[in-house]
Amino acid sequence: MIGHFLTWLQNTLGKGHGDTAQSWSEALLGSLNFWGLLEGTHLLALMLFAGTIFVVDLRLLGVTFRRTPVSVVSDRVLPLTVVGFLLLLATGLGLFFAKPLFYYHNLWFRAKMIFLVLAMLNIAVFHTRVQHNQAAWDTAPKPPGPARLSAVLSLVSWILVIAMGRFIPYDWFECGKPVPHWANVLQDCKASEKGAYEKSVTTANPTTAKPGGQAS
Amino acid sequence: MNSRGLFVSTLIGAGLLAAATLGVGQASAHHAFSAEFDGKAPVLLRGKVTKVEWINPHAWVHLNAVGPDGQEREWMVEGGTPNTLLRAGIDRNTLKVGTEIIVRGYQSKDRSCTPVCKANGRDVTFPDGRKVFMGSSGTGAPKDGSDPTEK
Repeated sequence: MIGHFLTWLQNTLGKGHGDTAQSWSEALLGSLNFWGLLEGTHLLALMLFAGTIFVVDLRLLGVTFRRTPVSVVSDRVLPLTVVGFLLLLATGLGLFFAKPLFYYHNLWFRAKMIFLVLAMLNIAVFHTRVQHNQAAWDTAPKPPGPARLSAVLSLVSWILVIAMGRFIPYDWFECGKPVPHWANVLQDCKASEKGAYEKSVTTANPTTAKPGGQAS
Repeated sequence: MNSRGLFVSTLIGAGLLAAATLGVGQASAHHAFSAEFDGKAPVLLRGKVTKVEWINPHAWVHLNAVGPDGQEREWMVEGGTPNTLLRAGIDRNTLKVGTEIIVRGYQSKDRSCTPVCKANGRDVTFPDGRKVFMGSSGTGAPKDGSDPTEK
């Protein structure tokens, strides 16, 4: 279902007629400047986003700006975080659009999305639960346990989101290569156009290895 | 040093370490040469271009060529970005399917050739003798002295 939609997104959407016609996705992936601009902006926006959210997390942990109320730090800093996030989202969607099937069948991307969801859930819990009595600890050098726990979860999940994102371009577990069984399962390589190869099979007998599946 | 100072300096130290690690990757734009390719495994491939993928962040030139093991197989050779290649003098019109080329490069660390053999391209020689670098200079590929512009 998702696979079919992404195949259409990658190969069909915006495609004109003629031998050299390209879909919008293909045109973006082959662009001389725009793809690089998207990626560069994604990385610069990441610095703005992560740099500012870490400041707030460290304040909640009672590590930095201990004499400044939490609300003062977050009111000054979080608007920048939101700007960073919107830029990340826009450029990230653009980069995903350039090769949707690659990311869909990529282990690191899948892990990144999981940690991204966890980070967002943590934010939701912080705003709906943890923050309800913020007035009581706003000026405390070291906020209470639940607030500190939120900060730790935020730091850990965002660092993991960034680390997983950084690993995406490495092809160690790429579908179509002989990779361990678990990697083929986790990436749903069977449904990818490159198919699934089991590492143990190919190392034992390289000539008889067969793709585990066909392009969907 | 109190525990808070220790915590902060640990955090800063970890941050610098992470930045240094990332810096290695970013010098090559997307991935370090040494993460995928073997600088000690030079290959010389001669054959007809079967497909060219003009994509970011690395273009791929496909050709059928005889590898170091003496077998003819499909190879895919990594170049720079389409932009880098255009500035080096390679574009859709000069590197077409069917062109007979000679590519010098380095094979991937993974020698399984599954689904096809992979290499990083150093330079490509066209039928008229014109030789063009493929954008690997400065990415961590061995400095073999062949590219005079390489620092």
